[in-house]
Amino acid sequence: MSSRILRLKTVALIDRGIERLTARDSQAPVARRQFLSVSATSLAAAFLAGCDAAGPRGAERALAYAARKNESVERWLLRHTSMDRGSPGAIVAGNRFPSYFVSDTVPLFDATRAGPWALEVSGLVQRPARFSIPQLMGLAQQTQRVNHFCVEGWNAVAEFHGVPLRELARAVGVSPDAQIVDFQSFDDGYHESWDIESAMHPQTLIVFGKDGQPLTPAYGAPARVHSPIKLGYKNTKYLTKVVFMAERNGGYWSDKGYEWYGGT
Amino acid sequence: MSASRHAGPRHHWIVRATHWINAVAFTIMVGSGLRIFNAYPAFARKGEQFCCYPFEGMRVPAWLTFGAWLGGARHWHFAMMWVLVITGLIYVGFIYLHGEWRDLVPRRGDARDAWQMVRFYLFVRKDHPPHGKHNALQKTTYFVMPVVAALIVVSGIAIWKPVSLGWLTNLLGGYVWARYWHFTSMLALVALSLVHVFMVLTVDPYSLRSMITGGHSERLSPIARNARPLLGLLPRRQPAAPIPPKEPSA
Repeated sequence: MSSRILRLKTVALIDRGIERLTARDSQAPVARRQFLSVSATSLAAAFLAGCDAAGPRGAERALAYAARKNESVERWLLRHTSMDRGSPGAIVAGNRFPSYFVSDTVPLFDATRAGPWALEVSGLVQRPARFSIPQLMGLAQQTQRVNHFCVEGWNAVAEFHGVPLRELARAVGVSPDAQIVDFQSFDDGYHESWDIESAMHPQTLIVFGKDGQPLTPAYGAPARVHSPIKLGYKNTKYLTKVVFMAERNGGYWSDKGYEWYGGT
Repeated sequence: MSASRHAGPRHHWIVRATHWINAVAFTIMVGSGLRIFNAYPAFARKGEQFCCYPFEGMRVPAWLTFGAWLGGARHWHFAMMWVLVITGLIYVGFIYLHGEWRDLVPRRGDARDAWQMVRFYLFVRKDHPPHGKHNALQKTTYFVMPVVAALIVVSGIAIWKPVSLGWLTNLLGGYVWARYWHFTSMLALVALSLVHVFMVLTVDPYSLRSMITGGHSERLSPIARNARPLLGLLPRRQPAAPIPPKEPSA
C-alpha cells in the first residue's frame, strides 16, 4: 500500500473518531473508548507510512513547531555563568581533532591578493572597524581548555587562545538593536549567524591560537570563532567578518536543515 | 452486572492511551536515536580510547534507524522527546494519584514469588502461582521500565545541554559517559520491551484487548489457562460456560 493511501486512511480514521466523540446522541464512554482505539490505530498507521525514510510529510510542520519551541527552552536555559571545562583527566586531541571545510582544498588566506588579513566588525555598531591579529590581541587575551561538541556526537578537548567577543563588542559599541551576530568566512561563503546572548557568552572567543600554537590552516587560520556553548558547525572558521544584525541570517548548515540555534 | 469480579476496565483509559502513545514515541525515539548514533557510532573522546564498548566505530544497520539523515533524525528526536516525557509524566502521575502504584512497587516476597514463576515457566512447578493484578515477574518489569526510562531522559538532557546544564552532565561522569548511559539504558529498555511483547504474544495475547478496550475476562487469564510461553493459549473448557454451537471443539 502506498504511503499516500495510508495517510488518507489515517485522516479518515481520525475524522471518524472525532465524529463519534462529538456526536450528541452517542453514549460518551463508548465513544471515548472507540476514539482511543481509533487513535491507537491511526498512530500506528501514521508510523508505518513514514517508516522507510524521513517520515510523513505532514509531520514537517509539527517538527518545525517543536524546533521553535525547543529554541525558546534552550535560550531560557542559557546562562552566562555556566562555563565549560575540559575534564581534568582528558587528553587534548591535538591533531586528532577532526578538521573540515567546505571548499575543495584547505582554504588559505591569500594576502598577496586581498592584502593583509584583518577582521571586519560591522553592522549595527557605533564604530565599525578592522582589526589585525596584534590589534585583537591588544584588546584582551584569554586561554581556555574546553570541549568542542560536534553535531555528530563526538567531542574533543582543546586549548583555545583568543579574545572574548564581548570585548570586541565593547570596542566597537554594539547597538541595542543588534540581536544577531553573523560570522562570515573566506571558506566558499561559509557563515553562521548566532543569537546575541550566545555570542556574548564569556567563553565565546575570536580564536587565533590552539594548543599553544598559532592556528594552522586546517583549524581555521588566521582566526576562527570558538565557543563550547555552540555545536561545532556554528563555530565559523577562516573568519573574515563579524556583522551585528537585527534579524537572523541563517547559515551554511542551518540552511541545509540543521537547527539554527545549535546550542549546548 | 457481568460475571467478572472487576467492575471497571482492567486498565484505566489514561493508562491505555499513554501506553500506546509511548509505544509509538519510544519506537521513533529509538530509531532516530540510532540514526544520530550512526553519525559517530563510538564513545571515545577524540584522541582517546574508550574502555567499555566493544563495537566502537560500528554502525547500526540502516533499517533499524529512522529520520533518513542526521539533521532529520535530530528534529524527530527533539520533538518526540516531549511526547515521551509528557505522556510518561501523565502515566506516572496517574498511577500515583489513582493508587495503582500498589500493583507495581516491589515488596518483600516478590523475589520468592518471581522464583515461583520461573519454576512454573521451567515446568518444575505444575500449577500457575496465584498473584494479584500482575505476576511477580511482570510487576518487577513494569516497575523497572519507568525507572530505566527516567535514566534515559536524564542522560538525554545531559547530552542535549552539556554546558548550560553542565552540573547534570558532570553528575553522570561527563559528556562521554552521559552518552554511554543514554545508549546502554536505551538498550536495557529495548530489551525489556521486547521481552514484554514476546510474553504478551506467547503467554497472554488476551491482554492486548485489556490494553485497547480495557475489557477483561477471568476465564482467559493466564492463571485460568495455566499458561506458559506458547502453551495453554486456548481457554480451558469449563462446564458452566456455554459452547457456541457452530464451533467444533478442538
